[in-house]
Amino acid sequence: MLTKGLKQLVTQSALAAAVLLGAGLAAAPDALAQVKDAKDVKIIFVTHGAATEPYWSVVKNGVEAGAAAMGSQVDYQAPQTFDVVQMARMIEAATAAAPDGLVVSIPDAAALEAPIKSAKAAGIPVVVIDTGLEQQKPWGLDLYVGGGSEWENGLRVGEQMGAAGVKHAICVNHEVGNVSLDQRCNGAAETLGKAGGKVSVVAVTQDPTDISRRVEAFLTATPDVDGIILLGPAGANPVLAMLEERGMSGKYKMGTFDLSPEILDALVAGEMMFAIDSQQYLMGYLPVVFLTQMAMYKTMPTDPVWTGPSFVTGATAGDVIELSKQGIR
Amino acid sequence: MSEPIVELRDVGKRFGTVVALEGISIAVRPGEVHCLLGDNGAGKSTLIKILAGVHRPSEGEMRVDGRPVAFGSPREALDAGIATVFQDLAMIPLMSITRNFFLGREPTRGRLLARRIDFARADSIVMEELARIGIAVRDPQQAVGTLSGGERQCVAIARAVYHGARVLILDEPTSALGVHQASIVLRYVAQARARGLGVVFITHNIHHAWPVGDVFTLLGRGRSRGTFAKAETSEAEVLAIMAGGRELKDLTADLQVARPS
Amino acid sequence: MQTDTAPPVPRPASGGLALGRMLRRPELGAIGGTVVVFAVFAIFAGDSGLFTALGVVNFLQVSAQLGILATAVALLMIGGEFDLSLGSMIGFAGMVIGLGVTELGLPIWLSVLAAFAFAVVIGVSNGLLVIRTGLPSFIVTLASLFILRGLTVAITRTVTGRTQIPYVTEGSEEGFVIWLFGGKFGAPLFRWLGEVGIVPLRPDGVPMVQGLPVSIAWWLGLTAIATWVLLRTPFGNWIFAAGGDANAARAVGVPVARVKIVLFVCTAAAATLFASIQVLEVGSADTLRGFQKEFQAIIAAVIGGCLLTGGYGSAIGAMFGALIFGTVEMGIFYTGIDTDWFQVFLGIMVLIAVLVNNVVRRKATEARR
Repeated sequence: MLTKGLKQLVTQSALAAAVLLGAGLAAAPDALAQVKDAKDVKIIFVTHGAATEPYWSVVKNGVEAGAAAMGSQVDYQAPQTFDVVQMARMIEAATAAAPDGLVVSIPDAAALEAPIKSAKAAGIPVVVIDTGLEQQKPWGLDLYVGGGSEWENGLRVGEQMGAAGVKHAICVNHEVGNVSLDQRCNGAAETLGKAGGKVSVVAVTQDPTDISRRVEAFLTATPDVDGIILLGPAGANPVLAMLEERGMSGKYKMGTFDLSPEILDALVAGEMMFAIDSQQYLMGYLPVVFLTQMAMYKTMPTDPVWTGPSFVTGATAGDVIELSKQGIR
Repeated sequence: MSEPIVELRDVGKRFGTVVALEGISIAVRPGEVHCLLGDNGAGKSTLIKILAGVHRPSEGEMRVDGRPVAFGSPREALDAGIATVFQDLAMIPLMSITRNFFLGREPTRGRLLARRIDFARADSIVMEELARIGIAVRDPQQAVGTLSGGERQCVAIARAVYHGARVLILDEPTSALGVHQASIVLRYVAQARARGLGVVFITHNIHHAWPVGDVFTLLGRGRSRGTFAKAETSEAEVLAIMAGGRELKDLTADLQVARPS
Repeated sequence: MQTDTAPPVPRPASGGLALGRMLRRPELGAIGGTVVVFAVFAIFAGDSGLFTALGVVNFLQVSAQLGILATAVALLMIGGEFDLSLGSMIGFAGMVIGLGVTELGLPIWLSVLAAFAFAVVIGVSNGLLVIRTGLPSFIVTLASLFILRGLTVAITRTVTGRTQIPYVTEGSEEGFVIWLFGGKFGAPLFRWLGEVGIVPLRPDGVPMVQGLPVSIAWWLGLTAIATWVLLRTPFGNWIFAAGGDANAARAVGVPVARVKIVLFVCTAAAATLFASIQVLEVGSADTLRGFQKEFQAIIAAVIGGCLLTGGYGSAIGAMFGALIFGTVEMGIFYTGIDTDWFQVFLGIMVLIAVLVNNVVRRKATEARR
C-alpha cells in the first residue's frame, strides 16, 4: 500500500513538473508585461566567499536586510572553499532556476565568463559585486556595486605605507589563490616600491594559530620589517592578538583591509594606522533593492555604485565599533 | 618403483642465523601420496615454500624429472607442474567459483582489444569438474564463499589437477575441517593419486594422513626423523616417533577425545 | 550430499537464476539510491528548474567530472588500494598544462601530453612505493597528497608569483584539442530540440542548452571500458583477485604487483583527464583545484557498491554513485536549503549506501544450503 501511494506521488510530481514546464514555456513571453509583486521577485547571489568568512557574512547580513526591506525572495550561495569551477556550476544552476536577478562576484574572469554571459543571454539581469569591475561593461552586465578595484586599493595602501616611512612591509595573505587578495599585495608592492621600500608576501592558511605563529616566525627571522599589511579580519585578528601578547603593539606600522571590532579597537588605540573599508554591507543590500525594482519597474542605475574605499582611521573608528559588533560594518 | 617427479637432496634453508631446515631428502613419485608429518615449528611450511618456488634452498639441490632446478617464483614452479594448495589461501571468497577456478589461466576468445574471458566454456568446465568430485552447484557464478570449507578445498585441488599439475602439494588441507568435510577431501586426494599424480600431504594429524598415505616422512625441528613406507610401519609406531615414546599415552588420550564416537 | 558416484552434470536453472544473479550485483544499491534521490528531488524541487534541460545538463556535468575520477578509484579500490593523492594530482596536472602553455610556450596538446606523462611517472611511483615498502596505500598516497600539492603551489608561485594561471586558452588556434576536453557536442541536435520546443529558447533565439559537455561522453566511455575490462577480461579477474586476497592471487601466479601499479597509473591519469577538462573548459589553472576530490571519488565508489577492503565492486556502480553525488550537490541548490546542509545529507547518504551494500554483498557471498 505504501509503495502504491509513493508511486502515485512520484507519477503525479513528474506529471506536475511536465505540466509546469509546458506552462512556463507558454507563459514566458507574457510574464514580462505586467508589474510584478515584490514577493514574487526571486534573486540569487553566487559569490566566491562562504558566509562563514567575516567579510562575506557582513555581505549576507546586507542581503537579508535588503530582502526584508523589499519583501522579495533572496538566496545566497557560495562554494565551501575558494573554487571557481564550483562557482561556474552554481551560476549555471542559477540560470536554470530562471530568477529575476543574479548577483555575482568575478574572482576569475576566464573561468566565469561563459556561465555569466549565458545567464545574461538567457535574459536574467546581472549585477556584479566586490570583484569584477573590469568585466562589467565589456560583458554587458547591468551594474557594479563595490569597493573598486583591489589593485587600486592596494596602490593606495602602498602610498600610505610609504608616506609613513615604511621601508619593508609584509603582506599577510590568508587565502592564497584568491586573485583579489593577490592584487592587494601586488598593488601595495608597486607604490611602496616607488617610495623606496619593498613588500614581502607571507602566505598563511585560515587557521588563527597558524597565522600568528607564521607571522611571528617571519618577524623574528627578518628584523628589518617595519610595516604590516593585513588583508582582512581573518588575518588581522590573530596578528593583533599575537603582537599584544608579545608587547609589540605599536612597534609596526600597520594597515588592513576591511573591519572588525578588534581592528577598530586597534585603530582607536593607535596601534593601527588605517583600515580600508569597502562597506560590503551595501554590496549585499543595494543589489537586492536594484534588482527588485528592475523586476517591478524596469529601473536600474546607469553608473557603478562605489561603496569604497573608505578609510577608517583612529579618529573615526570609535563611531563604528558597535556596528561592527553587529556585523554591519 | 618409478622415477620421482620431484626430489630434494640434502636440502637446507637458513634465514639469517636461524636454521629452518637441514639435510632434508625427499622423493615424490607419481601415483604416490607422500605424507609430511610434524608438529608446528618442525619446518613443514618452509619445506612447502621451497617446493612451491617461494624460497630457494640455502644448501642442497632440488630436481624435477631428474634435472636440477632453482625456481625464482611460484609461477615457475606452477609451470613445471608443481601446484601448491595452501590451507587458507586457496580460494577468494568474494569471487565466483568459475573466476577462482581459472584465476591466472583464464580461457579467452577473440583477439587484441576484443580479447575476453570465455565464460561459456569456463562455466561448463567448472560444472563438469565439480560434478566429477561430487560437488553439485546450481550456478558456477555464485561466490566461492557460498561453499563449505571442505568443498572449497576440493575445488582448489580440482583446480590444480585440471591445470595439469603433476605434483600436488597440500598444506594442511583437512586441519580446519570437521570429520565429514575432511573425508570428502581425503577421498578426492585418493582420486588424484589414482590418476597418476604425485601428492605431498602435509599435516600434523596422523589419523587423516594414515588412510591415504603411501610414504611417511617425519619432521622435527628442521630435520628428518625418518622416511617410512606404509608397509614397513604402523600408525601407532609413527605416532610414537612423532611424539616421543613417553608422551604417546597422553597423545593417544587427546586424540581419543577428538575422535567422534 | 552424494559423493560415491558422479551425479549427472546439473545444468543451471534459467529464470530464477537470472533474477537471483541480478539481486546480488554490487550495483543494486546504487541504482536503487539513484531512483530514490530523483524521486525526492522531484517531490521537493520538481518545478524549481532542476529538471529543465539546463538543470539536467548542470548536474550531469558535475556527475560526469566526478564520475571520471570515481571509475578509476573504483577499479583501484576493488584491487585493494587507495589513492589519496588524486586531488593533488589534479592541481599538479593543471599546473603542468598551464605553465607549459603560458611559460614555456608549448602548444596545448603537448602540454596535455606532458601532464599525462607525469601521471604515468607519479602513478608508477605511488605503486612501487606501496609494493616495495608494504605500507598501506592510505599512508603512502597521503604523503603524495601533500608532496604534490606543495610542489604545485611552490613551483607555480616561484615561476609566476601567483597561484592562478590564466589565459591558457586565450588566442589559441588549437580548437580541436580545446573542444576535445572542454567543449560541447551535439549542437545540431539541440538546435532541433529547441525548434521543436523540447528545449526552451533564450530571448535571443538560441536554445538554453547548446550541447552536451564532452566530459559526459568521456565519463560514459570510460565507465564502459572499465566495466568491460573488469568483468570480461583476464586483467579484470586479476583486479578482483588482487583485492580479494593478494597472497592467494600470487600463489596461483597472478602478477599482483603489476596489476596494482597499472591501477595507480589509471587513477593518476583520470586525475589528469579531469584537470585537462577543467583547465580547457574554464581557460585557467589554479593550484587549489581538485581539493578533497579524492574523498568525493571514494564516496561515489562506495555508494556504488565497492567494498573498502577490496575485492568487490563495480564501475557501473561508481557511475551511479557519481550521478547521485552530482544530483544531490546541485539539487540542494534548487531547494533553497543552505548549501551547508549538503554535507549533512552527504554523510547520511554514505551511511545508508554502505548499509545497503553490506546486505547485498552478504547475500551474494554467504553459504547457502
